[in-house]
Amino acid sequence: MALLQISEPGGKPIQPVRKRAVGIDLGTTNSLVAARCGGSVECLPDDQGECLLSSIVYYRKGKEPLVGSAAKSEMIANPGDTIASVKRLLGKSLSEIKAERQFIPYDFNEGRDDQTPAIRTADGDKDPVIISSDILKCLVRRAEDCMQGALDGAVITVPAYFDDAQRQQTRDAARLAGLKVLRLLNEPTAAAVAYGLDSQDQGNVIVFDLGGGTFDVSLLSLQKGIFEVLATGGDTNLGGDDFDYLLADWIRNSASSEIDYDADASAHTSLLHQANQAKHRLSESPVVEVEHQGQSLQIDNIRFAQLCESLLDRTLLICTRVLRDAGKKIEDIDNIVLVGGATRMPIIRSAVAEFFGKESMTEIDPDKVVALGAGIQADILIGNKPADSFLLLDVNPLSLGIETMGELVEKIIPRNTTIPVIKAQEFTTFKDGQTAMSIHVVQGERELVSDCRSLARFELKGIPPMVAGAAKIRVEFQVDADGLLSVSARELSKGMSAEIVVKPSFGLNADTIEQMLSSSQMNAKNDMKIRALKEAQLEARQLIDATINAIDADSSLLNEPEKKSIAAIIEKLNLAITQDEQIKIHALTEQLNRISGDFAARRMDLHVSEALRGESIEKLEKS
Amino acid sequence: MQFASQNYFQLFSITEKFHIDLGVLASRYHELQIETHPDKFADSTEQEKLMAVQNTSILNEAYATLNSPLKRAGYLLYLHDVEVEQVNQDELAMDLLMEQLQLRESLEEISNDESAQSQLDDLKSRVRDKVERCELSFGINMEEKKYPGAKELFHELQFLHKLLSEIDTIEERRLGY
Repeated sequence: MALLQISEPGGKPIQPVRKRAVGIDLGTTNSLVAARCGGSVECLPDDQGECLLSSIVYYRKGKEPLVGSAAKSEMIANPGDTIASVKRLLGKSLSEIKAERQFIPYDFNEGRDDQTPAIRTADGDKDPVIISSDILKCLVRRAEDCMQGALDGAVITVPAYFDDAQRQQTRDAARLAGLKVLRLLNEPTAAAVAYGLDSQDQGNVIVFDLGGGTFDVSLLSLQKGIFEVLATGGDTNLGGDDFDYLLADWIRNSASSEIDYDADASAHTSLLHQANQAKHRLSESPVVEVEHQGQSLQIDNIRFAQLCESLLDRTLLICTRVLRDAGKKIEDIDNIVLVGGATRMPIIRSAVAEFFGKESMTEIDPDKVVALGAGIQADILIGNKPADSFLLLDVNPLSLGIETMGELVEKIIPRNTTIPVIKAQEFTTFKDGQTAMSIHVVQGERELVSDCRSLARFELKGIPPMVAGAAKIRVEFQVDADGLLSVSARELSKGMSAEIVVKPSFGLNADTIEQMLSSSQMNAKNDMKIRALKEAQLEARQLIDATINAIDADSSLLNEPEKKSIAAIIEKLNLAITQDEQIKIHALTEQLNRISGDFAARRMDLHVSEALRGESIEKLEKS
Repeated sequence: MQFASQNYFQLFSITEKFHIDLGVLASRYHELQIETHPDKFADSTEQEKLMAVQNTSILNEAYATLNSPLKRAGYLLYLHDVEVEQVNQDELAMDLLMEQLQLRESLEEISNDESAQSQLDDLKSRVRDKVERCELSFGINMEEKKYPGAKELFHELQFLHKLLSEIDTIEERRLGY
């Protein structure tokens, strides 16, 4: 087959090698995958033509988990085994989860460590990393079907405001799904890319991203293909779901029902479902009716806005802060981009328009815009699209520092510093003869350690004994382009190499990932069969394409009977491909290879002699 | 490419002085970013990626330093071997200390009522005026190689910026975050 794909000397290959790179928006409510298909980057649909995959996973004993709408329909019947909004659980301890959510229908278990609690399901314990990777696997399968082959890399989006733990776990989930992560990209930045790459826009853009469970605001400056994030802010625990909760509270209070929702998981789930439906209908019409427990309730957008006033205020307060951090005023903002399904709510749109004194850009579907931007970035990073002047400059969203005397935080990298960044600071011992120093890495804006998030604790040992204050300990923080941190410490004064490098404790180490990968493979023998079939189909299709291309180019080298017999085999092979008949596909591929082999040799001879003669006639005429 | 050994002004090919064209700085910064950013090495070896992270970190630090007048001033003094980390009280003029004390008092006297914001705004614009004048003289002192004078102005700038950030903190607290 390789012989068929010859190219003319100096010419372009008949089939350029394109690497398969995708952008994935791993959302709280919905997830999407986008890639370049033909000319433009598009969201890839499933076999029902649906691009949005509900981020819901249903675990059944001994079977492959169900993901998406199939899982969604199990939510009411099997609330404990059907995990929704797992993004809200990423990188959080059980106590943090419990403090944030009023009601969780899941049965939590001790996980791998404090920061990774697992949920007991019918198919065993599942932690947020595993659950997220099951969603990703579903998208990967979809992409591999659409793109006809294994993926070479992926860009995964995360909320700009995700902390280190949440980023680490997102990346772990992607690796567990077998993906090579090209970059973790902040969602608002991705949205700006989707809007701005092809235009020569200059100016300041606010990206207002209200997703299912997280809220992000970023202020970007666009200049000749360079997207520079000036400041970013947000709340990882504020999203469209919170509007559902408030509506649900309103429904249960207004309907004065007898049901104890806290004890009845199904009743609670259906109440939330009803609230969610009402919220969606309020985006279509100004007044809607809600039937609950035989009572009819009415709500309009004005009342809805009142109910949600505190949520709306929180979003606008964060906008104010981002403007301040960037040193910009409301008048400096040229465009506003709305992202996330929750920005369809009229109460959000009018609040944003009023605040900025401008209407927002909404040409691109707010559900798809992040995935599209990630797809564009993936295509560039993998090297498919030469983009010499395109670059994203991102910032770290939260300050990083270490604990000093008196439980105070010393900031080493302030928030909104452009990444990647390496910063070092020197510390000293405070006791005579001190030989060890404990280093506690924290993330957050507050001054007290207890108000910040603890990322890692480690001890630097082997400091030579000296008088207090004589040792020089250099602590170095490095944040890479994905926003992930590593810390090292070294004793300098005596040139001793007491050194330690830590990654924050949340990330999985390579061994754990390996182990998890192999155990998931044991459960997936069936997957391997499917994969073998897919590969056979792919190989056959490529051979057919190459043969047809070759005939188009050099049909004079074949006589009619030869052409006919090749056409007949191609027809049979196409049938075998559509009927998933793996053995037939193999046999016919072999046959086609044999028959076309002779043709390929003839083409080779022709092109070699042409090359020896020098420029082809066609080229001479053109020049 | 290796950035570690270059002085920040050389890195951006701009003349080593206090008053610089920030537009030129930004466009040189962007040009260099396009060459060094780790995204340009997404599909390269670990070694190349690490190199890109290090170079870009230096570039980011260099840009942040030259882009901020206060940091730029400190960096220029550092390049002329003027020690700025250690400050002796007697090196600072008495009237400078008195003035700073007065400014700080006016911040503390701001009442926590409805007029607070306009009082904060007033104070802020007074401090900003001083910053501007201070920067102007700093530039002149550096041109004339009057380093002790420049150093004193640098410390005054430090005071003023500290005050501005305290005003910011108070404002942020009033805004509720």
